[in-house]
Amino acid sequence: MSTPPVAVVGVGQTHHKSRRLDVSFGGLVREAVFRALEDAQMTLADIDAVVLGKAPDLFEGVMKPELYLSDALGAVGKPMFRVHTAGSVGGTTAIVAASHVQAGKHKTVLAVAFEKQSEGNAQFALGSGKGASLGAGGAFAPFIRAYIQRSGAPEHIGWKVAVKDRLNALKNPYAHLKIEDISIEKVKASPMMWEPIRFLESCPSSDGACAVVITDAAGANAAAADGRPPAWILSASSRSEPPSFPGRDPVRPAAALQCAADVYAAAGITDPRRQIDTAELYVPFSWLEPIWLEAFGLADEGEGWKLVDDGTTELGGSLPVNPSGGVLSSNPIGASGLLRFAEAANQVRGAAGEHQVDGAKVAIGMAYGANNQYFSTWAVGSSLHPFG
Amino acid sequence: MTRFIESTITFPYKRSLGPVVGAFMTALTEKKILGIRCRDAVLVPPMEWDPATGAELPHEFVEVGPAGTVESWTWVPAPSEQHPLDHPFAFALVLLDGATTPLLHAVDAGTPSAMSEGMRVAPRWRGSRVGRIDDIICFVPGDMAETEGEDTGGAGEPVTRMDYLASITYRNPVPEAADRATEASREHRLLGLRCPTCGRVYAGGRGLCPVDAIELGPDCEVDLPHTGTITNFAIVTPVQYPGQTETEPFVRAFVLLDGTDVIIPYSAVIELPADRVKVGIRVDAVWASPAEETEEGGGMGGSWGSLLGWIPNGEPDLDDPDLVNRIF
Amino acid sequence: MSGPSTDIAVIGWAQTPMVRHTDKSETQLLMEAITDAIDPLGLTRADIDFTCLGSCDYITGQAFSFVSNLDAIGAWPPKRDSHVEMDGAWALYEAWLRLQEGDIEIAVVTGSGRSSTGEPALIYPMEMDPYFLAPLGADPLTFAALQARAVIAAGIADERSMAEVAVRARGKGDVESLLAEEFVRLPLRRHDVPPITDGAAAMVLATGDRARQLVKRPAYITGFDHRTECHNPSFRALDDSPSTRIAAEAAGLGDAPVEVAELQAAFTHEELLLRRVLGLGDDVAVNRSGGALRHNPIMATGLCRVGYAADHIFGGGRRALAHSTSGPCLQQNLVCILEGRS
Repeated sequence: MSTPPVAVVGVGQTHHKSRRLDVSFGGLVREAVFRALEDAQMTLADIDAVVLGKAPDLFEGVMKPELYLSDALGAVGKPMFRVHTAGSVGGTTAIVAASHVQAGKHKTVLAVAFEKQSEGNAQFALGSGKGASLGAGGAFAPFIRAYIQRSGAPEHIGWKVAVKDRLNALKNPYAHLKIEDISIEKVKASPMMWEPIRFLESCPSSDGACAVVITDAAGANAAAADGRPPAWILSASSRSEPPSFPGRDPVRPAAALQCAADVYAAAGITDPRRQIDTAELYVPFSWLEPIWLEAFGLADEGEGWKLVDDGTTELGGSLPVNPSGGVLSSNPIGASGLLRFAEAANQVRGAAGEHQVDGAKVAIGMAYGANNQYFSTWAVGSSLHPFG
Repeated sequence: MTRFIESTITFPYKRSLGPVVGAFMTALTEKKILGIRCRDAVLVPPMEWDPATGAELPHEFVEVGPAGTVESWTWVPAPSEQHPLDHPFAFALVLLDGATTPLLHAVDAGTPSAMSEGMRVAPRWRGSRVGRIDDIICFVPGDMAETEGEDTGGAGEPVTRMDYLASITYRNPVPEAADRATEASREHRLLGLRCPTCGRVYAGGRGLCPVDAIELGPDCEVDLPHTGTITNFAIVTPVQYPGQTETEPFVRAFVLLDGTDVIIPYSAVIELPADRVKVGIRVDAVWASPAEETEEGGGMGGSWGSLLGWIPNGEPDLDDPDLVNRIF
Repeated sequence: MSGPSTDIAVIGWAQTPMVRHTDKSETQLLMEAITDAIDPLGLTRADIDFTCLGSCDYITGQAFSFVSNLDAIGAWPPKRDSHVEMDGAWALYEAWLRLQEGDIEIAVVTGSGRSSTGEPALIYPMEMDPYFLAPLGADPLTFAALQARAVIAAGIADERSMAEVAVRARGKGDVESLLAEEFVRLPLRRHDVPPITDGAAAMVLATGDRARQLVKRPAYITGFDHRTECHNPSFRALDDSPSTRIAAEAAGLGDAPVEVAELQAAFTHEELLLRRVLGLGDDVAVNRSGGALRHNPIMATGLCRVGYAADHIFGGGRRALAHSTSGPCLQQNLVCILEGRS
């Protein structure tokens, strides 16, 4: 890469819950920010610029909340930037923050994303206040039906992903859903919401925030010398495609394939299935796991479900996917993408705690948005040259 | 003549307040106004953090006011529906006694000539207070606070949330392509637009080709068939929210029009209950009768106009494994 | 940190007709603006490596309103793309950062908004403090009036100098008759207040060599910065704009004189305050375009300022300043310095 290397040196997140009634907007984001700063052994004074991401302002009824949150985020006298790329926004927030450092404009940048869904109602906002909102499940169910038919995947694949991610969530102190007795039977018995998607195959609606500190090579090397391993950002890409036209394939979207190709080429990844140790993929409905495994080249076309079926994507498998519990376990929408990127970073920092993938050296974080149109991905490594 | 569609986005948000705003709102119900100590300052309104640095502030509350001095003001000759008063008033920055920063609020002064910098004002409390900034209806000239209506007293317990009703009406012009599609639907015509560059056809009055990024004008119009096949569908279990119109699971189907590459997405279906919908069902368009015509259009909404949806036409189902992939 | 290592320049821009009310959708406006920006350069949408759009859901009146705007950019095959819920001037900032990574050459940024469809006085309180200010319907006119009062009290403006700004910006009216009008929000009269405008703008950026291939005189971005202040105007000195001052300093405004300045001053007193804070003397031509007082296409107003400043360079000028702002009482400010080279 021609750009100077940059790295993640701090990660923080809130405890995600359906209702964080104990905090204000500012309180919620600050909880994540101070954890990230503590992790980076920094204070707000060390931050040169702040990038804020969140999903539509209609979710909370606060327009351009970066204005209100400027002082809460300690951004007074600094650049305060607001990104919004639908569901992928958290990922794009991290990428734009990294771009601030890569361009040589700033040394240390804070990426923050949040959603406080309890203030409003997501279905309302997704339908722009009109009746008969499809909701995200209604929008994605046809894609999933198409995937199942073309891959010939058996129906228990969706249930398996749902169980796996909830078991992983039990190892993540910040996760929203903690379903101790999660089982295939329980998922199978849960109500059908958007056929073929059952209730327990769906993400929750969460309040939560995530923050990531990104700094330059000098800062990252200093952290490393201090015994705090950084996550080096090997590559990143954001790609978008139009909502609809005859022939557009939302199951294997060209934007996803291109986003993966960008990231792998720039990171020197030629065999993603083997070179990537773990992936945090944006999976709000269980079937999206095999869909993204395929679109992101972690499985051959039509074969993604087999990696679910044979346990490859379990924690302990050879390619753990969403060891944090993923979006299926915590979904503060605007922050969900940044959480994927942050969890990927924590894996290669060896900082994922109980859900650490042993020896993870290279990880990807991925987020997507709208009707499978916006894709943001980064690859992070425990070193700048993880492949020697 | 341009046609407009009016839509109102309205939602009763519920804000959680956190420890500092919550304390302020709780005190308001007791007709007390709290500031918070921030270094040498007493901030009103109180903040959880130092506005200059973002540093967390210890919860050292200071009771201020209730009277104060007008630092600056402006006159609102024509109040909006969101404003605290429905007759002309002043918005003023009021430095409450004991505070070092001013609070923005309304002053009910009658005329602008009654307003001046340095004038004394005091709150006019709402009799029944819930813990919102408008528990203070406004300020009034003088040093004496007053209460409007019967005083029902403090909240008794901590206020942790507040209501915020957001309601905004938009008046959107209907673009020409959408308007023409709607007009055609009145004559029970299903209009498409063929891109002269790539040949793709778009229905629904979209008026452009996203692949070639060009506008498609009336010269691109083609009539589309009224018969097709369901390729895919969503069965939506409605979640209740303010403005929701549905109570039972409903179907939205994707219909591939015969002999074309055109999908009519998210279509309403008629006489096809959720438990019978499947890929391959043959369907015909159903149009509104003149009596059913509404400004909003039929069951499909938007520029689909008089197209109510699709009904099974009794032809045998198509068995083509590729159909399900046609969502767009 | 040092400045950019790569030359990045504005090489063209276009705006739609700026009107009180358009019948076109935001996507149509963008379609037109992008085509008009790239056509004269001999570029097609396929040549664009990166797009960044700036728009606002609450202005448009729909969640995810920017998604349909992808139809305008020609995102097939899929584009490297981003969106900011900010004025297009900040989309430009993101593209400027992105181009410095060196792997791509051409970016298009846009700003778009149709503010005629809603009532700004009812929409804008939603960007204010959600506990203390939004519930009062605290609107932009009120905050502008309170700032105008502070600026007048500080001797930076008076009602007459504000009217003079209005006359110059709009190229019509006379000061005496304007001053005879009623106040809409004391001390602001109708002429001190921006119009409601629908419109969109698109701008093309290119890295050094590519820029020089495409146009004779690229407008190089030699300084670019933006800063914010605390949100609630209660906690600010309203007769100053410290974030503008810091951004200008960081953008290197003081390194050499500018000939023109395009300031996003939607209210007359803002122009006078910004001139003072930026230290612009009488030798600097301010808002020759008429500025936001003539046309105020919200979410594109700032990007248009950069466009007019670039026009000055394209026309042979040496150095120009563009400014954009967001939030109550100039909460957030952006400064972009453009230069031509012989």
